[in-house]
Amino acid sequence: MNALSLDSVSHSFKQRRVLDAVSFSVAQGRVCILLGRNGAGKTTLFSLVTGLYHARFGSVQVFGHAMRTDPAAALAAMGVVFQQQTLDLDLTTAENLRYHAALHGLAAEVAEARMREELGRLAVLDRLHDPVRSLSGGQRRRVEIARALMHRPRILLLDEPTTGLDVPGRQALAHHVHGLCRERGIAALWATHFLEEVTPEDDVVVLHAGRVQWAGGADRIEAELGVASMTDAFAKLTAAA
Amino acid sequence: MKRRHALRALNGIFHRELLRTLRQRGRLVSAMVRPLVWLAIFAAGFRSVLGLSTTPPYQTYVLYEVYVVPGLAAMMLLFHAMASSLAMVYDREMGSMRLLLTAPLPRWYLLGARLLASVVVGLPLVYLFLVVARYWDVRPPMLGYLAVLPALVLSGLMLGAFGLLVSSLSTQMENFAGVMNFVIFPMFFASTALYPLWRLAEAGPVLATVAMLNPFSHAVELIRFALYLRFTPISFLVVLACLLVFFLAAVVGYDPGRGLWSRRGDQ
Amino acid sequence: MQVLIVIVVPLLLSALAGPAAAETIYVSNEQDNTVAVIDGATMTLSATIDVGRRPRGLALSADKKILFVAEGDGNRIDVVDLAKRQIVGQLPTGADPEFFVVHPDGKRLFVANENDNLVSVVDIAAAQVIGTVDVGVEPEGMAVSPDGRYVACTSETSSMVHLIDAGSLELVDNLLVDTRPRAAAFSPDGKRLWVSSEIRGTVTVFDTLTRAQTGKVQFEVQGIRREGVQAVGIEMSRNGGTAYVALGPANRVAEVDTGTLAVRRLYLVGQRPWHVALSDDQKHLISANGNSGDISFIDLENDEVLKSLPVGRGPWGVVVGP
Repeated sequence: MNALSLDSVSHSFKQRRVLDAVSFSVAQGRVCILLGRNGAGKTTLFSLVTGLYHARFGSVQVFGHAMRTDPAAALAAMGVVFQQQTLDLDLTTAENLRYHAALHGLAAEVAEARMREELGRLAVLDRLHDPVRSLSGGQRRRVEIARALMHRPRILLLDEPTTGLDVPGRQALAHHVHGLCRERGIAALWATHFLEEVTPEDDVVVLHAGRVQWAGGADRIEAELGVASMTDAFAKLTAAA
Repeated sequence: MKRRHALRALNGIFHRELLRTLRQRGRLVSAMVRPLVWLAIFAAGFRSVLGLSTTPPYQTYVLYEVYVVPGLAAMMLLFHAMASSLAMVYDREMGSMRLLLTAPLPRWYLLGARLLASVVVGLPLVYLFLVVARYWDVRPPMLGYLAVLPALVLSGLMLGAFGLLVSSLSTQMENFAGVMNFVIFPMFFASTALYPLWRLAEAGPVLATVAMLNPFSHAVELIRFALYLRFTPISFLVVLACLLVFFLAAVVGYDPGRGLWSRRGDQ
Repeated sequence: MQVLIVIVVPLLLSALAGPAAAETIYVSNEQDNTVAVIDGATMTLSATIDVGRRPRGLALSADKKILFVAEGDGNRIDVVDLAKRQIVGQLPTGADPEFFVVHPDGKRLFVANENDNLVSVVDIAAAQVIGTVDVGVEPEGMAVSPDGRYVACTSETSSMVHLIDAGSLELVDNLLVDTRPRAAAFSPDGKRLWVSSEIRGTVTVFDTLTRAQTGKVQFEVQGIRREGVQAVGIEMSRNGGTAYVALGPANRVAEVDTGTLAVRRLYLVGQRPWHVALSDDQKHLISANGNSGDISFIDLENDEVLKSLPVGRGPWGVVVGP
């Protein structure tokens, strides 16, 4: 069973088609990089995958649970890091994480233990009782990832998680997430437009103008397309309108 | 939906709402100052020292201060509901609404919990106002303070559901500000909050009719009657019916298959 | 369900509260030519009795079985049997009787004849005017001392209060008071005489024996100009400690401490209260509000106005009977 699978997903806003028969899947324990320029449809795809709204056509399944018919089971299995800031700035790190734990039905003791564990793993435990407003951009992202892991999801969804971070920050974050997936065997869907966030062991889905242009192992993309680098491959795939 | 999960989520939503409210001192202060300004300054200007004619639930002549207090309590609920749904639009732009909606619980439950939490968190201020109003000789019977609680909750939920509905329909903050001007203020002024129906009827039969059809008037009257240990079935039913209609419409507005997001997208 | 209990239980409790004394309140409706009969316990209107034209002054007979009603435009007094609730006779009064008192002997009425500048003395049993006393211009308010020795009469235009010897029917003294005196009242011990001034909005207090002025009560209602505060009807509590004064167009009734002459509190009642009356247990005060056509019940134990009840057009006088 795949961690996430999209089958012929199409969506449009009014007359504008944003996603056109998108199909791909993320295998269990794999990191899948969703590559696309701004406006390629990544954010809409994220909204559909996280159940914010339903696709006009096609289906989204998370560990076999259809988002349309069994959203609770599908959502319980995923941890989400949105592109936008979703932390309450006036609340402390701990208060933000407790809120999330409550939404996922965790008992208070469990929440306290996991909060420390995840924040420690991401090296932000020392900011536990600080208001989020006082945290740096990188720290906030890590808090959001820790939060997304609180309820032990089996797939992590990250929408442009490195937006606003400097290069070392982006690398550190990518390193963290790869480490997590390796250690715990959880899958990840990582949407980005930064090509350097792709590592050879990842899977890659290239989305352009609402369509999947290419999907497969990152290590095969250059050979299959007959180009010298990831940059060239991406340029070639996203050239056509 | 597991009961324990649902209760924990409800608890978490309450807790967050409470923390956010307590940390927003400015909002707390202005929420308190607004009705007091009305009572202390505006009501003094409007006051009819000779007493307003007897209107139920009052059994005798009352001063304007006495008349206007239930309306101002309802105004607090209205502005609280609007501030809360403004926060919801803000949340949505900022994404924390998304976070709420990715909780593995039914969406109506999440929205309802948010609504209830927001109303309950807003109640202590209303009570504080009612206590302070005693200084202006607005002294309903002590039991009235208890009887008014269900009326405040129901009215608060109805107005909150209205705010929720508005927030589900407006994609941007600018739209929301427009709604504030074109819906909230008329809703407040064309109601029985500031003037009794007979005085509105003197000003114009149209105004009186609008006020009679205005759900906010019924919220005001429900609160006014309860505060004086009376019950008005018509206002109760109107408020209850409006609550259900607004809430169901808001749930549809936030529905993943039919709501605004799925039609207009994120930007 | 709990919501319902919270709402319904207090409702029932409030319905049980209110005046408990089994009293009947009689109010003259100046413009309706009726006397309204109100059940004091339920504070509801139980009947209206048709009487003569322009009824104003009211008084009960000594045995409280008869109500006398002055017919201002009928130039007589109607005698109403309270058991039958109908007029059973008439007494002559002279022209334009506005206000009158029943002498403590129970046999005579002292009536102010506004247009004739007279006080007429009426023998109730004989139904005859047995004497007249010349007083100032437009006599209006009447009071009789508890020992029956003096009758006081105010004259509106002369701004005087006239003290009449009730036995010899001679004028004993004339005292100047503030403009347009309306009502007069003796203290229960008979030592003080209170006279209200409508235009000046004051009550002047005299020593009955020395006839020296002992004090003056001033009234002030926040937000109302001084001209709008006028003093009319006066009612004394049985223990003499408190006087209640109707303030006319100020829509208030004042509660006055008779010792200090300070206004203890003001009650908001209907429009233009003329006269006020205490219940027999002294726990309630009723005001007859001329312009709003209603009476207001004041709970003196909790210092609050309980209810205003429409009774007819132009309520003027009010008395409380059994």
